[in-house]
Amino acid sequence: MGQEFVLLVSASIFCVGTVGFIIRKNPLIMFMSVELMLNSVNFLLVAYSSFLNSLDGQIFALFIITVAAAEVVVGLAIILTIFRTRHDMDVDHIDVLKG
Amino acid sequence: MFASSWLILLFPLLGFIGLSWYGNRISRNLVGLVGCGTIGASFFMTLVTLSNLLFLPPEERAGHVQTLYQWVSAGSFKLDLAILVDPLSVFMFLVVTGVGFVIHVYSVGYMHDDPEYSRFFAYLNLFIFSMLVLVAAADFFFLIVGWALGGLASYLLIGFWREKTSAVLAARKAFVMNVIGDVGMVIAALVIFETFGTLNFVDVFASAPDQFRPNDDSMLLITMLLLVGAFAKSAQLPLHTWLPDAMEGPTPVSALIHAATMVTAGVYLVARCHVLYELAPYTMYFIAGVGIITAIFAGSMAMVQYDIKRVIAYSTMSQLGYMFLAMGLGVYSLGMFHLMTHAFFKALLFMAAGSVIHSLDGEQDLRKMGGLQKVMPLTHATFLIGALALAGFPLTSGYFSKEAIILSSYHAQMGNIVFWAIAVLTAGMTAFYIFRVYLFTFFGKLRSPDTHPHESPMIMVIPLLVLAVLALLGGVLGPWVDSFLAPVFGHVAHPHDNVLESIALIVGIGGIVIAGLLYLVSTRRLDLFKEALAPIYDLLFHKYYVDEIYDYLIVRPTKAIGAFLEQKAEREGLDFTVDQVGLQIKEVSHVISLWQSGKVRSYALNMIVGVVTILMFVVFM
Amino acid sequence: MEIATLFNFTHDAVIFVVGMTAILASLGVILCSSPIYCALYLIGHMICLALLFLLYNAEFLAVVQIIVYAGAVMILFLFIIALLGGKKEVQENTFHRAMAFAFVFTLLGELYLSATVGPTQQIRGEIPAELFGTAKAIGLELFSKHIVAFELASGLLLVAAVGVICLAKFSFVPLRRRVR
Repeated sequence: MGQEFVLLVSASIFCVGTVGFIIRKNPLIMFMSVELMLNSVNFLLVAYSSFLNSLDGQIFALFIITVAAAEVVVGLAIILTIFRTRHDMDVDHIDVLKG
Repeated sequence: MFASSWLILLFPLLGFIGLSWYGNRISRNLVGLVGCGTIGASFFMTLVTLSNLLFLPPEERAGHVQTLYQWVSAGSFKLDLAILVDPLSVFMFLVVTGVGFVIHVYSVGYMHDDPEYSRFFAYLNLFIFSMLVLVAAADFFFLIVGWALGGLASYLLIGFWREKTSAVLAARKAFVMNVIGDVGMVIAALVIFETFGTLNFVDVFASAPDQFRPNDDSMLLITMLLLVGAFAKSAQLPLHTWLPDAMEGPTPVSALIHAATMVTAGVYLVARCHVLYELAPYTMYFIAGVGIITAIFAGSMAMVQYDIKRVIAYSTMSQLGYMFLAMGLGVYSLGMFHLMTHAFFKALLFMAAGSVIHSLDGEQDLRKMGGLQKVMPLTHATFLIGALALAGFPLTSGYFSKEAIILSSYHAQMGNIVFWAIAVLTAGMTAFYIFRVYLFTFFGKLRSPDTHPHESPMIMVIPLLVLAVLALLGGVLGPWVDSFLAPVFGHVAHPHDNVLESIALIVGIGGIVIAGLLYLVSTRRLDLFKEALAPIYDLLFHKYYVDEIYDYLIVRPTKAIGAFLEQKAEREGLDFTVDQVGLQIKEVSHVISLWQSGKVRSYALNMIVGVVTILMFVVFM
Repeated sequence: MEIATLFNFTHDAVIFVVGMTAILASLGVILCSSPIYCALYLIGHMICLALLFLLYNAEFLAVVQIIVYAGAVMILFLFIIALLGGKKEVQENTFHRAMAFAFVFTLLGELYLSATVGPTQQIRGEIPAELFGTAKAIGLELFSKHIVAFELASGLLLVAAVGVICLAKFSFVPLRRRVR
């Protein structure tokens, strides 16, 4: 196994997350796709820290989890503020900055 | 040793600058004093230079170049700020500053009531300066500089009364024709530079006879091109139509510029470049032909005009034709002598006419004048003297100079019977038309009863008297002029032929007699005469329709082309292109801005596309 | 067969299976029509990832993943879904979708290519094998080498908390009190 497998899995999850971000209209699911991307990177970091026998990868992954948590919190608050008064969860309808 | 000659040019320049800056703030008397004083100082310096020149023996008098400043020194081409002091230029200095001074004094009186007094004297000083630059130039470059400045001064002075539309149009016409001449002169200068490698008079004239055979193509080209300028400036055929219209300017302007000095610049040019012209005998023949044809052309038109200044203007054109005839025949000093005497009596005639116009409150039509003999005795006497000089009455200065030219038209190397016949005929016409004017103005009854003519103030009459004395007695200067100009031109034989002289004399007096018969006694004969020759009269009165021909052939097509180009090339071409640059940018940016849809997903897609592209570069490079 | 090779084989097989499950779970996240199901798939995906962390000797991180990520963050997600957007939506095949798939597959290809390009720079650390991935080792590293980042991260969390309160609070409507 080893490195190619890790790279492949990580790349696949990253791409799945990107696709999800582009093709879904619901902002919450877009957010979840972002979480997928972050997770893939986490996995890559941890695996490589194991291969290279260095703890820096795991520490970095820890920080990514922290920042992702903070980001989710703020992002959901924004989504809440925007979509509280609407009844459709469609991110395409927010195009005030058009043109 | 002629370093002081620079002052001759300096004084009028200072006068122009001073009067144009401060003229409005100093009193009228001071303006007049400064304006005349500068020219008077120039005249004094001219006399000083003359005496310096006469100190030298005749062989050493030609070719002194006073350099002030070495301007251009590029390889083998040198151009200096320099003046040429030799008999010809000193002669012209005398005429320009002398007659100029007299006319300046006259204008103090004539323009006394004009609100733009100081501006007038500033322009007059500018003109004298430009004329002096033209005459004093030591190379073709500064000759053209003075030439163009003179054209400018002429424009400013003809259009001096800016509210008069006719004056402004006449000024424009004069300037356009002058520019045509300027173009010819500049091309000639370029050809000279290419042929000789220098623009210096002394160098060009020294090397020309060694380099070229007579009637060589380049000589013909240069001389013909210089002639374009000379004919435009001196109002010869076909570039003559500006001179009658130039009479819209004030009378002192007509006297100074269009009689005595500026229009003689063409004659001076031919005289200065006589070395080149002698190498192109075809051109000399051409000059003589054009000169004599213009003489008779103008003389015939002068016989039927009713505006007093216009008659005198045509007379100027005609006498310039005589001068060009003399130049074409090779008798240069005779031509220059006629230039001097013509300056005297023509300025006198103009100023006397101005005196008449001034006292009749601006009336210029002959048919409204008359009977001024008793009211303005001094003007009458001086006008009569001028008329006699112009007509070539025996013992006046005009007689000596004109007779010499008429005789040379037969006896000179290129003279022939045709030239002589036309010259004599024109002399007869000259006598006729000037006495017609004289009789109209000073005899009979005053035909405009509302005016109160009076003798002009002394400040206007004294210049008339000075010029009258010169016109009367100037004939004695003939031999002196010949010997003075000999270092430049070589000696010229004065022919004496009693038969031809007496024929010319009889024709001249005959002209006076005919004028008297028609205009002095009764008018029945005049009307019969007019009816009999009605078609010729029409042709003459309308100036041979030359103005109309030019209008159709040249002016209208040029204006049409201009309008066409303005519409097509300017508006639809350039303006359209420039506008389109802006408009297309707006359109394109409008289209591009549609890319910003405001949708988050599109932005994300764009980002992914960007990342993919960069990764492709990274992976495959 | 040797115990070592059997152990390795099982190790690799388990890694393989869990990895595939993770990918399938992520596909489920993006392809479901109901947001609740998507959230549940994501939780499953995170548990798979935690298992993978365990298999790669990162025990502390695996536990952190379960407690913080799957435990706190996803529960927050579920709360918001319950509050706002629980509707099922229909997936239509738009140009967007096609382009997205095209580009992402390209991205995948490139990432795989970059994997086969060559070895990367080796960073070798000096941690004794039995301490690798434990909380003690991570703590030692965290509070010595990465102390600045640690402090900054805590500051970031504080900012996030304050920001959320400012953003998402309900407007305060005072109750009218009758003055007695």
